[in-house]
Amino acid sequence: MWTIIGHRLRQNKRGASTVIAVVLSLVIIVVIVSNVVLWSYEMNQLDWERMNENITITGVTRVTNSSWFVAQSEYTVNEGSHISGTYEDTQSAEEGLWETFKERQPPVKLDLNDTFIIDLSTWPLTYIQTIEIRLRYRASDSEERWYLEAYNWATEGCSDDGFNSTVGHMPTTEWHYYAVNLTNQWRSYVRDDGTVYVKFHDEGPDSPPNQTTIDIDFLGVRAVIDGTRFTFKNEGSVTLHMVSLWIINSTLHQRCDIDVIVNSAETYSYIRADISLTSGSYRVKVVTERGNKAVYSVEV
Amino acid sequence: MKRFLKNAKALSPVLSNVLLMLIAVAGMSIAIAASYVITGNLHDTMGERFIVEDVWFTTGEIAIYIRNTGKVSISIAAVYVNHTSQSFTALIMEIGGHGWLNVTYAWSANMVYHINIVSSRGTQVVDYYRSPT
Repeated sequence: MWTIIGHRLRQNKRGASTVIAVVLSLVIIVVIVSNVVLWSYEMNQLDWERMNENITITGVTRVTNSSWFVAQSEYTVNEGSHISGTYEDTQSAEEGLWETFKERQPPVKLDLNDTFIIDLSTWPLTYIQTIEIRLRYRASDSEERWYLEAYNWATEGCSDDGFNSTVGHMPTTEWHYYAVNLTNQWRSYVRDDGTVYVKFHDEGPDSPPNQTTIDIDFLGVRAVIDGTRFTFKNEGSVTLHMVSLWIINSTLHQRCDIDVIVNSAETYSYIRADISLTSGSYRVKVVTERGNKAVYSVEV
Repeated sequence: MKRFLKNAKALSPVLSNVLLMLIAVAGMSIAIAASYVITGNLHDTMGERFIVEDVWFTTGEIAIYIRNTGKVSISIAAVYVNHTSQSFTALIMEIGGHGWLNVTYAWSANMVYHINIVSSRGTQVVDYYRSPT
């Protein structure tokens, strides 16, 4: 069959050029149409995704401090001994778990320290106003004072110089909070990568010798800032990528680049340490990469 | 070669075929180039999207923040405030680009303005904005 058709085509060449021209024209037309149709399909998809976005701002609140940064490794006991528990038991307060240490044999002393790392990606050093150290603990007796200190990177030694309180804390056998603030001297105690070495120790050798046992329920470090927390809710069916945040009041339209992704049906808290809402009324606006916006009015 | 040069009887059909082939190739090239230009323009026009993120009424000026959310770069060609063309700072945005478009306009307080922003390919973003009191 194919042989006959081929033979006839070779014999009769009168229509060959017409056929070739038509085929080439068809190819061009198909290329043009497919190009347009495919591009149209892509843009339709973009529009469809945009229509399926649904972003809302559910809250804008002032943030005055960071979350607590707690121990991520076991305490180093320089004087005294570890009795029970782990550093993980000191990561949150009031959970009924604690870590216990005991003063060493005469001279009776206890001295321990650990490293705490501030997340500088969320809490940049530029916007930190000071640092707080908080301890929840109890002692088996109340015969001496206990002290919180930090490693001073400038003087290369542990101290409490510049702390709001340097008199220490007298414990009881009940749980107590003991907190110190590093005031405007905080920068000497925080390394450029956010590391803070915290030291906890007693007043000195006991007289008469009495080995005190210390239970530490919580020990943490946090940054004091003046920032803002924005809560976004994705009520749409597609993942959101937020790219722009606006803080608008009667005198200023402040825009910030952001890079926040929120999955469908999820809520996300976004903290900006560099945005401080002083008293007044504000409009907060967020813009997605696809071009949708959400607005929230807030009175501070 | 000598035989080919001596025998000139079939030369005109060969030349005519070659010429026809050249004409056909040139014609097809023109057609493809034209289709590329036509679809390219259509392609760009279809892929153009932009939004107005914010409008800020400042002294003697309306500042409009624009974001290119489409798939081609955008150049703003005209801005109309209340259907009248206004002068503005040139703004060209790449894909995902954004920036302020400063329109010189003596606005009045607590008035509604119809603002129409037109791109060089003809895409328009139109809305009403109330000036502050």
